[in-house]
Amino acid sequence: MEIREDRREQGLVVAVGGRIDSNTAGELEKALLAHAAEPRLVVDLGAVEYVSSAGLRVFLMLVKKSKAGGGKLALCALAPGVKQVFDLAGFTPLFTIEPDVAAALARIA
Amino acid sequence: MPRSEVEADNTAVGVDRVTAAFDAFADEARLPSIVIGAVQVVLDELLSNTVKAGYPDGGPGRIEAAFEVVDGYLQITLVDDGIAFDPLERADPDTEAALEDRPIGGLGIYLVKQLMDRVDYERVGRHNRLRLVKSLEEPV
Repeated sequence: MEIREDRREQGLVVAVGGRIDSNTAGELEKALLAHAAEPRLVVDLGAVEYVSSAGLRVFLMLVKKSKAGGGKLALCALAPGVKQVFDLAGFTPLFTIEPDVAAALARIA
Repeated sequence: MPRSEVEADNTAVGVDRVTAAFDAFADEARLPSIVIGAVQVVLDELLSNTVKAGYPDGGPGRIEAAFEVVDGYLQITLVDDGIAFDPLERADPDTEAALEDRPIGGLGIYLVKQLMDRVDYERVGRHNRLRLVKSLEEPV
C-alpha cells in the first residue's frame, strides 16, 4: 500500500494505492486518523486495488472523527470493485463520494 | 480447465502465499477484474479470521486453498485445521443503521456472502472446509 499527501489551497488530499486489507489497514488507520481533524480532507482511492472489511473499519472511524470535529471529508475515484464493497456494506450513504479529486475538493469547498 | 492448489502456514506470510497463488491463477485463467477484486476481499476476510481466531492455543496450522474454473464458475475451496468455525452461522450486521449506530467491524463474513454466489461450510474430521462459488458470466 502507498500513501501520498498533497497539501493544496482547498484542502489536504491523501492518495492511497494498493491493497487495503487486514495486513495494511493498521498503517492506513495511522495515516488517515492523523488528519481526522483537517477542516477539508479528500481521500483519493483511485489507485486502490481492493478494500476489505479491515479497511472499511478505518474509513468508518475516519468519517465519525471528522464529523465529530466539524471537518469536511470526501472520498473520490473509487474503482468499480471498491464501490461495490462500499455499496454492499451500506457505507455509500455515509460518505461524500465524488468521481475525482477536483470534484471532491469542489464539493467540500 | 485451469486449476491451482496451494498450501500455507496459519500465519500472515501464509495468507500472502495463498493470495499470491490466487493472483497467479486469476492471471492465467483471465478472470474479470471485478471478480478478482471480490475474491481478494473474500480471501482476506476468511484467511485473516482463520489465522486470528482459528488457533487459540497457538501452535502451527495448515491452510489449503484450491482455485478452479468449471463451466463458467470459479470454485474456491479453503481448508484449515483450526477449531471448528462455521462463518455462515454469524448474524448479518445492520447495513442501514445511522452513522452513530454503526458498529466498527463485523462486516467481513457478510461481505463474503454477498460477494460470492454460493458459500458452503462443512466440518470434515479435524478440518474446516469452505466451498465458494462465483459465476464468471453474470455481470456483478
